[in-house]
Amino acid sequence: MATQHSRAAARFMIAPSVVLLLAWMLIPLGMTLYFSFLRYNLLMPGNNPFVGFENYAYFVTDPAFQAAIVNTLLLVGGILLITVVGGIALAVLLDQPMWGTGIVRIMVISPFFVMPTVSALVWKNMFMNPVNGLFAYIAEVLGMQPFDFLTQAPLASIIGIVSWQWLPFATLILLTAMQSLDSEQLEASEMDGASAWSRFYYIKLPHLARAITVVVLIQTIFLLSIFAEILVTTNGGPGTASTNLTYLVYAESLLRFDVGTGSAGGVIAIILANIVAIFLMRMIGKNLDA
Amino acid sequence: MGRITLDKVRKAFGDTEVIPPLDLTIEDGEFVVFVGPSGCGKSTLLRLIAGLEDVSGGEIRIDGKPATDLPPAKRGLAMVFQSYALYPHMTVRKNITFPLKMAGMSEEEKKRRVDHAAEVLNLTDYLDRRPGQLSGGQRQRVAIGRAIVREPAAFLFDEPLSNLDAALRVGMRLEISELHERLKTTMVYVTHDQVEAMTMADKIVVLRAGNIEQVGSPLDLYRTPRNLFVAGFIGSPTMNLIDGAEAAKHDARTIGIRPEHIDVVGDGPWQGKVGVSEHLGSDTFFHVHETGLADIITVRAPGEVNHRAGDTIRLSPQMDKLHRFGQDGLRIA
Ligand SMILES: Nc1ncnc2c1ncn2[C@@H]1O[C@H](COP(=O)(O)OP(=O)(O)OP(=O)(O)O)[C@@H](O)[C@H]1O
Ligand SMILES: [Mg+2]
Repeated sequence: MATQHSRAAARFMIAPSVVLLLAWMLIPLGMTLYFSFLRYNLLMPGNNPFVGFENYAYFVTDPAFQAAIVNTLLLVGGILLITVVGGIALAVLLDQPMWGTGIVRIMVISPFFVMPTVSALVWKNMFMNPVNGLFAYIAEVLGMQPFDFLTQAPLASIIGIVSWQWLPFATLILLTAMQSLDSEQLEASEMDGASAWSRFYYIKLPHLARAITVVVLIQTIFLLSIFAEILVTTNGGPGTASTNLTYLVYAESLLRFDVGTGSAGGVIAIILANIVAIFLMRMIGKNLDA
Repeated sequence: MGRITLDKVRKAFGDTEVIPPLDLTIEDGEFVVFVGPSGCGKSTLLRLIAGLEDVSGGEIRIDGKPATDLPPAKRGLAMVFQSYALYPHMTVRKNITFPLKMAGMSEEEKKRRVDHAAEVLNLTDYLDRRPGQLSGGQRQRVAIGRAIVREPAAFLFDEPLSNLDAALRVGMRLEISELHERLKTTMVYVTHDQVEAMTMADKIVVLRAGNIEQVGSPLDLYRTPRNLFVAGFIGSPTMNLIDGAEAAKHDARTIGIRPEHIDVVGDGPWQGKVGVSEHLGSDTFFHVHETGLADIITVRAPGEVNHRAGDTIRLSPQMDKLHRFGQDGLRIA
């Protein structure tokens, strides 16, 4: 792309795909924005008058909204914490030369191949079910009261399920990063008298910083919109105990058939996601420059 | 203090024995260079001394104390790696301070030693930079600085200059020699560049396939190579080796004569056709063909000497500089 001429040609040639992608993004976004300013309820057919920010006011003043914001942040934060810490630990373990590493690695990665709905159902029915679940059985064997995870600690349970799904992703990226560490650096630090812990803390962890940033950024994008796991396990309940923003939008527009308020919620979710993204970029994006 | 003794040290990776039992003593304050062709076990031997590899047999002693089972950090040795192995996320100062920090040294002591090392190595202006912002030569100096501050019993270098360009290599070679002059600490230096070996070493150890072929001062090896391998390995351009009838005249299986010990004279006993000439200005190297002795005889003439390709010239070897080797490849006295 050195010359003016080739640059112009390049622009011309990528124009169709750019236009297509832009339309792909802008049309749904525009329609959502448009609907969010209309009183548009499927249960009350008729004309759909323009109501300004009324839908937004309803959505924001809904007591479920605050709960949903808090839950969204807890979900994202909790899962990030578990997957990053767990991912680092697993990466360190899998990096050790040991017997059967190949099999162990495949087993560690496999949860990622299970569909979210399926894994949530498996967890709900086979592990966490207070009557038939494995955990209930273990509790019984130990002579304790079975714990009803999804009603007594719904949010924590969902954090657990989703962390289980995303741990392989974090592990995989961190493990590759770990393996790209120059072995001479480790040997040099060994000669310098660093203990195993110091080697981890001063050499390996800083080396992983960039990979951790990537994991956090990518996961945040996906975790802000967790939906299937909630729908399948708790339906956002009990009450709003496990309702996040995505689920609240779904509840508004598809359970209460209020397209207008649902759209307003969607727009708010977009704005919040962007705020989070900007914060993240500010905080850790500088890791990516170096 | 830094006297390193290897006693029947052996190393095998699985079934392949890389270093057969080997004895070597490195005296305190000596500059010892390991040379040998690629894959002969130079790095492995150095890593055995450093403790980065476990020996398969034998014993290593440092200053008379057994060190075979000591971890690398406890041996009191410092190593400079070929890839420098600097910590990329730390500044130069932090890099150099790292071993002191691991040793739990006080702040003033750390600062004093780092500032001193930076001064010695001309790094004072770069202390706040990261390794990524330094040139190759500067990185090499940081790596050396990190080794110096520990005040080790001996330095181990594994081809430290091989990533540098030719001019810088000459400069760094001098700096390392001067450093040795000043610190008088034992240095063990691995290289496959024989110019480095000849110019820096007090003692050269020539290795082949894990075996020590000869140990001696650079000039010892040059003057009296113990066998054909050392004769062919030390010296540049390499020694001319001649088999057959000419060797038999001297009661040897093979005779060797260095290019600089052959004169071009009108009445010399050997005769051949000039091939390629390499003009270095200070010297001229001729490849001489069709001598009936060997495929090519290399001759070194001092200064600028012109012979056109295809010219026939006569050569005269300096008889007192002739090396004779017997049936077993060993030197005949
Ligand atoms: N970890 C290892 N496992 C198996 N074999 C090894 C290992 N490390 C080295 N070797 C073998 O040991 C021999 C000596 O290797 P070494 O690295 O010491 O050579 P070197 O003399 O340093 O060569 P170079 O000049 O190319 O650096 C080689 O044949 C190499 O293949
Ligand atoms: Mg080597």
